[in-house]
Amino acid sequence: MFNKPVDLAGAAAFVALMAALPLVFPSNYLIGVLTVSVMYGIWAVTWDFMSGLTGRENFGHALFIGVGAYTAGFMNTTFGFNGWWSLPASMVMAVLFALLIGLPTLRLKGPYFALAMLSGSVIMQRLMLIFWESTGGEEGLNGLTPLIRSQVGFYYFALAVLVAITLLLMALARSHFGLILRAIRGDEATCQAAGINVTFYKIASLVISAAFAGAGGAMYAHYQLQVSPQLFAVVTSITIITMVYVGGMASIYGPVGGAILLVLLTELLRNFGEWRLMIYSCALILILFFLPGGLVAPTWRRLRAAWLRRAA
Amino acid sequence: MATLLEVSGLNKHFGGLHAVKNVSLAVERGEVVGILGPNGAGKTTVYNLLTGFIAPDPGARIVFQGQSVLGLAPYRIAALGISRTFQLCRPFVGLSVLENVVVGALGAKASRGADLETRARLLLAQVGLSGKEGVPVEVLSYGDQRRLEIARALAAKPALLLLDEPFAGLGSAEIADLSALIRKVHGDEGLTVVLIEHKLREFMRLVDRVVALDFGEIIAEGLPDDIVRHPAVIEAYIGRDNDVSPAASSHAA
Amino acid sequence: MLEILIVGAVSSAIYAMLAVGFTLIFGVARVLNLAHGSFYALGAYGAYVLTSQLKLPLLPAALISIALVVVFGIVVERVFIRPMRKSQLAVLMITLAVALVVEQALFLTFGSEYRNVPAFIDAKFTIGGVNIAGARLLALGVGAVVIGALWLFIQHTRYGSAILAISQDPEAAQYMGIPSDRIFSVVMGISAALAAAAGILAGPFLTVQPTMWLLPIVKAFAIVVVGGLGSIPGSILAALMLGYAETIVGYTISTSWTEIVSVLATLLMLMFRPAGIFGRRAAF
Repeated sequence: MFNKPVDLAGAAAFVALMAALPLVFPSNYLIGVLTVSVMYGIWAVTWDFMSGLTGRENFGHALFIGVGAYTAGFMNTTFGFNGWWSLPASMVMAVLFALLIGLPTLRLKGPYFALAMLSGSVIMQRLMLIFWESTGGEEGLNGLTPLIRSQVGFYYFALAVLVAITLLLMALARSHFGLILRAIRGDEATCQAAGINVTFYKIASLVISAAFAGAGGAMYAHYQLQVSPQLFAVVTSITIITMVYVGGMASIYGPVGGAILLVLLTELLRNFGEWRLMIYSCALILILFFLPGGLVAPTWRRLRAAWLRRAA
Repeated sequence: MATLLEVSGLNKHFGGLHAVKNVSLAVERGEVVGILGPNGAGKTTVYNLLTGFIAPDPGARIVFQGQSVLGLAPYRIAALGISRTFQLCRPFVGLSVLENVVVGALGAKASRGADLETRARLLLAQVGLSGKEGVPVEVLSYGDQRRLEIARALAAKPALLLLDEPFAGLGSAEIADLSALIRKVHGDEGLTVVLIEHKLREFMRLVDRVVALDFGEIIAEGLPDDIVRHPAVIEAYIGRDNDVSPAASSHAA
Repeated sequence: MLEILIVGAVSSAIYAMLAVGFTLIFGVARVLNLAHGSFYALGAYGAYVLTSQLKLPLLPAALISIALVVVFGIVVERVFIRPMRKSQLAVLMITLAVALVVEQALFLTFGSEYRNVPAFIDAKFTIGGVNIAGARLLALGVGAVVIGALWLFIQHTRYGSAILAISQDPEAAQYMGIPSDRIFSVVMGISAALAAAAGILAGPFLTVQPTMWLLPIVKAFAIVVVGGLGSIPGSILAALMLGYAETIVGYTISTSWTEIVSVLATLLMLMFRPAGIFGRRAAF
């Protein structure tokens, strides 16, 4: 995974930078932005692990985020569980939803999986609104207890989780498991002919992706101290996909950069208020047409190659 | 057990079209069997039926190494020891040459624990692709992709190798090379090979016996020399492809 | 009972108009257009703008709105879908992005409050003792007529035969000289017109706001899964089934549970018969 020292150096530099920023600029606003970008980083990395590697794009990743968050919300506010119990519980719930949608659809060719995920997130959003008596409706659930009281403390925790998940998924991606996922993207029929249970691997990667995304949702819930149906929104799913495109599909580490870039962009565009999402959507179209390979991962690869040439 | 594959009563209807009609055949261990037939005769459909990609009509019997493979998913059948190639080369796009072969070994039980990369390199050397391990498959020539297909199919250590038109799209020098490779692999590994082709010349020298198909049913079976003179086979071919006229190619060969 | 019959029929008609366009594109071009819901939304908003800002009478406003949406649909096809046609997923992504742009454009122009699309018929009718809004009856009538006209178009005209040919075998159709690209544009136009008309007819009694494109997509997907991707009779039948199922659930259990119907239908169908009722195979 870290083939050369330059990879390790790059990763270490990134982590050091992210860790140092709140110390150099101790502003709550900055820490808030960084925390949000780390959360999106977790969701983007998990999306890339499944959809980037297998090529089966998931248009409803927000479903896992929302499920994780609401699980945390209910466990905390309704049942009084401590926030740390939410993490495994939300992973379990997210996995259940992943199986519910993945089992029927991933064995089929065609747009079924993508659209079923989209439909799933939309329906869950509507259900949260329809059954407002139990779910709090538009306002959602409020008054969750924080996981870590200090804002900086939670940021470091989230950063550690992001690094851990990214390293884990990168290791998986570079293992035989990841090789099989990439082969599935290459040609499913040939995989079958090679004796590989294609459906199992697709579902397995979805489950892994969902579990960590759900955990991220729970973390986010205990950070914002509230959950609302907006978590299930299509905009969230699309934002995550955009982050992966910007970061570099299938690189796993690229989407972290994509998440940071896009969250920064969102903050810079805050002055444009209502025009933000419009600019976003247009940017996505432009990226799909002109930059499908992404920005972050290709740039890193170029830097890396240049460094290796100089060092040689 | 000498009979590796036993098929009887194989039928397939696509809507109103009776694409495969009551095909029965037996393949002995160590044989090289050729399936001959003009385009549309149903040869690839037979492969798809045997390897589980399509379900046969009820009443079929497909027994491999004493075990029925009817109704099993394609990956299961492959894992039991039947490797196949496809008519149009279908490599794992986005992976390198070496990775393609490694994946070929990943599905088979025989490869647990073995050093897959070393084996893959050996296979690539066997098929003549040494030195190209790191190349992305998209840039390979078609002939090289064919060789890669065979390496990929061999990686699973199959007992039975089903090749679908391995010579399609190749020039005569490449065909000779590939033919020699198939013969070598058959000899070295003791593989049983079934081969679909409609380019007769190389085919005839490669196979022990021939099964001729037309319109989904078997019209003749026997030694290559006999098949080529068989009236039903000649009738099936006259007026179809020039380069497969049996009488002409046996004179020229 | 009669009320359920009529209300169910109204829902079915709207759903049918949405689903048929959705499935038609798939049958012909093997792509799903996620901006389909945008056609529905633009139809409704178009009618709203033309009647309230430009003070046009309703019928011409409706027709102009539909025409404009058709043009928009063809533009979407040419500019966004055609370059991406090689990959089904690329088309899904780009059309989803387009749908978002449209949503934001509507939001920026009109804000997020509900808008009012006037009804063709304001009166309420009483049929067999049941009160029904004229607008709903009209939706039912027009929907049935339009679908019927489409069916006749496909069965009895040369364009229709071309569409069927391409659906069954795109390559063979090309060999026979059928201008596939032009047909795609025509089909896109038809699809957009149907969706826009559905938006205009449903506007008076369904909510008109910028995010109104999303639910029709979810429903349309459910319908084409049940009916079979690419099959028009399948879509019509499935639209009837879904429309009535939702209505019956709404009246007997509660309106909250109607959403679950489409979810369950989709899930069950995908589990047991992914090809749908009239679908040929699950894999395309």
